[in-house]
Amino acid sequence: MKKRFKVLSVLISLTILFAGGLFAQKKLTGLDIMKKVYNRKSPKDMEATLTMTLINSNGSKRVRTIKQFIKDFGKVEKKIMFFIAPADVRNTSFMNWSYDDPKKDDDQWIYLPALKKVKRISSDSKGDYFMGSDFTYDDLGDRNPEEDNHKIIKTEKIDGLNCYVVESTPKDEDYMYSKTITWVVKDRWYGLKKKFYDEDGEYLKTLTLKKADNIKGYWIIVKVEMKNKQKNHSTIMHLTNIKIDTGIPARKFTERMMKRGL
Amino acid sequence: MKRRVLFFALVLYLILSFGFADGLNITGYVRNYDGVLLNDNMDFSIVQNTLDLNFTMQTSKVGFKVNPYIYQYSDKTIVFDIREAFLDFFFNSFDIRIGKQQIIWGKADGVFITDIISPKDLSEFLLRDFEEIRMGVTAVKLDYYIGDNTFELVWVPVFSATKFPAQNSIWAITPALPIQPIFDFSRKDIKPSIKNSEIFAKYSVFSSVMDFELMGGYTWDADPVIHTLKQIDPLTHQLLSLTAIPEHHRLTVAGGSFSTTIGPVVIRGEGAYYWGKHFQSNNPAIRDGVIEKDYVNYLLGADFSISGIKFSTQFIQQIIPDYNNFIVNNKTNNLMTVLARKNFLEGDILHLELFSYIGLTDGDGLIRPKISYDITDGVNIMLGANIFFGDKGMFGRFNKNDMVYMKIKYSF
Repeated sequence: MKKRFKVLSVLISLTILFAGGLFAQKKLTGLDIMKKVYNRKSPKDMEATLTMTLINSNGSKRVRTIKQFIKDFGKVEKKIMFFIAPADVRNTSFMNWSYDDPKKDDDQWIYLPALKKVKRISSDSKGDYFMGSDFTYDDLGDRNPEEDNHKIIKTEKIDGLNCYVVESTPKDEDYMYSKTITWVVKDRWYGLKKKFYDEDGEYLKTLTLKKADNIKGYWIIVKVEMKNKQKNHSTIMHLTNIKIDTGIPARKFTERMMKRGL
Repeated sequence: MKRRVLFFALVLYLILSFGFADGLNITGYVRNYDGVLLNDNMDFSIVQNTLDLNFTMQTSKVGFKVNPYIYQYSDKTIVFDIREAFLDFFFNSFDIRIGKQQIIWGKADGVFITDIISPKDLSEFLLRDFEEIRMGVTAVKLDYYIGDNTFELVWVPVFSATKFPAQNSIWAITPALPIQPIFDFSRKDIKPSIKNSEIFAKYSVFSSVMDFELMGGYTWDADPVIHTLKQIDPLTHQLLSLTAIPEHHRLTVAGGSFSTTIGPVVIRGEGAYYWGKHFQSNNPAIRDGVIEKDYVNYLLGADFSISGIKFSTQFIQQIIPDYNNFIVNNKTNNLMTVLARKNFLEGDILHLELFSYIGLTDGDGLIRPKISYDITDGVNIMLGANIFFGDKGMFGRFNKNDMVYMKIKYSF
């Protein structure tokens, strides 16, 4: 569960795959590729401003802005988010503690400024959409590759880059997606695209990488777009003001800071 | 009122002058709120325009907040007040907040058990948003942090009482007295002094397994009890006159609250024991009609989701352990609250909510359905209803106050 929110640290790590390390020269299986992605080298801490632009079928836009801080404490990864816009959710904060132990659920709290109270909330809402976007909470987390069966269905060249195309089907029949197909760039180990299929096997949405930057030796996905075909709705996520390995103090991830805000 | 508005304008001017010079944040909202009673005449229950402003500034060492607000009503009444105005001082392991502030404790939603520091504004019963129900108190608050645990100490030098509805309000409550009394308010106010100040302490633990709080307080009961002075005809033993004397009494409170997760369900609990609570009594042997008894108030709640609908339920019980039948209140009072909420449309811009208080003892309650739509970012329109049922009890007595309302709000 610990890895669940790593996405927002590198934006969408499960969905837009990237990985450090050397590409082994043996013939890779789908699982090998997904494990390399999952076990990639990642920053110890990161802060950034996340802007989500929600675009409906008429082209009208709504913008959500969040300041987020993430730190890896070893067995637990802590994340705190401060909502900046729109105005009616300003000063709301959200904190998530996710654990290495796959049996242990995340702990989550939300601070609602109108109530002036930090409330514990259930993390059992992975299928819910995050702030009305096209990303579910599960999309924003790192899904353990052992939870799916993977196979390489083909190789394909996109924008001049050779990609493995990996189809992943969940071992849990109740999972929200019947399958996903991911385009992983050979030798670079990050994803360019991912297609999602709903529980009925119908094509649902596509995630596309728009921009990735190398910051302090880490590939950070700074801009992605999720297009929901069924709803004709899309969301663009963009990270700015990214700071990595600055030594964010542990006290940033406390009830005290949730209440104090930015 | 003119002087208050001028004062408000001056405060605004000073804050803005200061703010434009150095990073002041100005946020707030403007709201129109219109309610109609569901009676034959369809009378307006409320026509209110609101301006609520927040001026905040914060550095790593200090901060402040000033939250003035104005309610303007259809009868041209203007209410101006400051909900909060405080200074913050941040240190490495502790913070100090000084000034008028809302202090909220406990894990309960919509009920007040250990949450007894900030008194309530019941001008519109319990219908206002919770941030508007709680009034700020002038206090000094110290928070000392030990890892994820916090020790909080609050000193309230000046007592503030619950604000009740005006006599002519549809929410006014008539005291349960045998004849129309003459009111004597001479004992209602608590003289500000060190001796009359209030003090509260809380230790809270914030952990993966469970969050919990332990609290204690030496306070005043924010709700006055009505003492009575009876004049009885010595010959006929008939009641000739009755003087009602509202008076606040000292309370000692100890309690706690917790919340934890069991699978997909969040379990919450809160309870408190009150020493020195006063109740009205019909015992003819008691001269002023008031008796002192201990009092227990607790809650158990669960938050969970079913098919994308978020539910929050609470069971609340109030008990007078050493009860006698002369006491006007029930020996036990059982209450439930149920909240169901779901978002709709792309972007989660349509919100449906149903919140209910259900009085299990008196068979009364309040049902509050509402639907709101985010017209654009920061602009929201809400349609709702407040439906009372029962013929006695906390909610049943307002059975004729069913209403529908509309609120439109622009947040900036």
